[in-house]
Amino acid sequence: MQLKARHKIAGIIVGAVVLLAAPYLVPYQALATQMLIFAIFAIGFDIIFGYTGLLSFGHAAFFGLGAYGTGLSLIHLTSSVPLALGMGILLAVVVAIPMGFLSTQRHGIYFAMVTLAFAQLIYFIAFQWRSLTGGDDGLQGVPRPSLGPVDLSSDLVYYYFVMAVFILALVLGVRIIRSPFGRALQALRENTDRAMSVGYDPRKYKLISFVISAGFAALAGGLYAMLQNFVPLFSLGLDISGEIVLMTLVGGMGTIYGPVIGAMSIVYVKDFLSSQTDIWPLIMGVLYVVSVMTFRRGVVKELKERFFK
Amino acid sequence: MEPVFLFSQFFNGLVLGCIYVLLSLGLTVVFGTLGVVNFAHGALYMLGAYAAYTIANHLQLNFLACLILCPLIVAAIGMVLEKLLISKLYKLPHYYNLLLTFGIMFIIQDAIKIIFGPEGEPFNIPDLLQGAVNLGFMYYPKYRLFILVVTALLSGGLWLFIEKTRLGAIIRAGTDNAEMADALGTNISWTFTLIFGLGAGLSGLAGVLAAPIQNVQPAMGMDILVQTFVVVIIGGMGSIGGSILAGLVIGQILTFSIVFWPPGSTTLIYAFMALVLVTRPRGFFGRVSFFE
Repeated sequence: MQLKARHKIAGIIVGAVVLLAAPYLVPYQALATQMLIFAIFAIGFDIIFGYTGLLSFGHAAFFGLGAYGTGLSLIHLTSSVPLALGMGILLAVVVAIPMGFLSTQRHGIYFAMVTLAFAQLIYFIAFQWRSLTGGDDGLQGVPRPSLGPVDLSSDLVYYYFVMAVFILALVLGVRIIRSPFGRALQALRENTDRAMSVGYDPRKYKLISFVISAGFAALAGGLYAMLQNFVPLFSLGLDISGEIVLMTLVGGMGTIYGPVIGAMSIVYVKDFLSSQTDIWPLIMGVLYVVSVMTFRRGVVKELKERFFK
Repeated sequence: MEPVFLFSQFFNGLVLGCIYVLLSLGLTVVFGTLGVVNFAHGALYMLGAYAAYTIANHLQLNFLACLILCPLIVAAIGMVLEKLLISKLYKLPHYYNLLLTFGIMFIIQDAIKIIFGPEGEPFNIPDLLQGAVNLGFMYYPKYRLFILVVTALLSGGLWLFIEKTRLGAIIRAGTDNAEMADALGTNISWTFTLIFGLGAGLSGLAGVLAAPIQNVQPAMGMDILVQTFVVVIIGGMGSIGGSILAGLVIGQILTFSIVFWPPGSTTLIYAFMALVLVTRPRGFFGRVSFFE
């Protein structure tokens, strides 16, 4: 027990140092920001995939809706950063409720296919609605206004802002999964019949979990729009939906910290590959195959078994 | 609007539907028997089209040779993938194979892009099938009629194969009752490989047939994959009749939305899927709690 507590403190210290130093450890500062943005996305995705046991293959929809919602709010409505991020989350939640309601009609593998199909629907709506979204040119000219007295225009300052949001998201994510609600989700994942027999309504819990994870995805999307000053159409695309699954799986689903590490490593690796070679999609494909075939339980679980037992 | 125009659009919808029928039949048979949602299915379709392009343009063989060779080539590639990778994950939750095939899709797509370049390749309608046929009430392109006939024959042949042969009996056992396929155990691993090859071959054939009417390009598989998923969700996963009916319905929706409301051509099928999910969650002919 004492050993465990010591590990925990060591973990927090290492984590804090890495977070504070990250912009200086990677090739350019915005990359560190992008790594944390996908880490926020992965925290939310782990709630639906790892803790609820539902594989959504359409979460890019919420990432993208958050990005478009925040971007459009900043362009047309407000210069308040929290309000714009809130609008992005609101947009994603409003879409996630009916989409989750319909998707949770089906379980298992169908859930993946149905969420994927709905995400494509949203992708094509954004593609067609050029006057609002810019179509396949993406949404140009998203400003990055200052947050009260803090000027976010420098990449370094923006990194620390995203870091603060990331820490809040991490604390919130851990609180959600340790709450009675989070316990109920895990009970439903492990044995739906038993959880139902003690009075939990699985569809209600699955829907709430779906909406919560959509909210995290949208928060990440909004931060992404401000980072890039731009919302690309591919933020709603199938590649992002697949990548978030890979990040969560590589890190170790159902561990929260694992997907965070998975997301940060994959964003880093992808950036490295795309700066080195044109054939990086092929290498990403190989990465999928290798990670599913070899360390499918996730790096955190593999490391835990080897060093902390 | 002229009735002849509407008729020819209806036929175009049928032809497009045929491509979806061939694709979704392969997907549904593989899913029903092996429990694998094959994300690489679209990539195999694209491989079929590129195989046809290579055989016709570089080896100078005729279209009949393409029709026979390409499905076999794609089936062989599918069988190698199944033997080396996919079969190792049967005992794990479904999503591992889903992610694996998702990765395979990227590899195939990018490899084709590297070899053939990102822009499309032209593929001409074979000489023998050029021109139009007089159907009495309208003229219709020969090649499109050919697709209708091939799909009808093939669906009939597949039905006979599934009803009358031993391999077909295993597919029926799998699609009728998921536990039944499990109960057959792993000592029939070659049968599973053959079934995966059959699914891959069907998508390869769909690729060859589609090559002359669509542009042969690396992204063609990705574009059609999700639409094929919609077909099997609507038809009912694992149901052969459902795949045929839903494929034809989706073909009509796509074709007529292009005529009457072009922006809907990419979105209406998903709205239709939502409608089906609300009114009949299991799809046209799907069974309750099948592979859930």
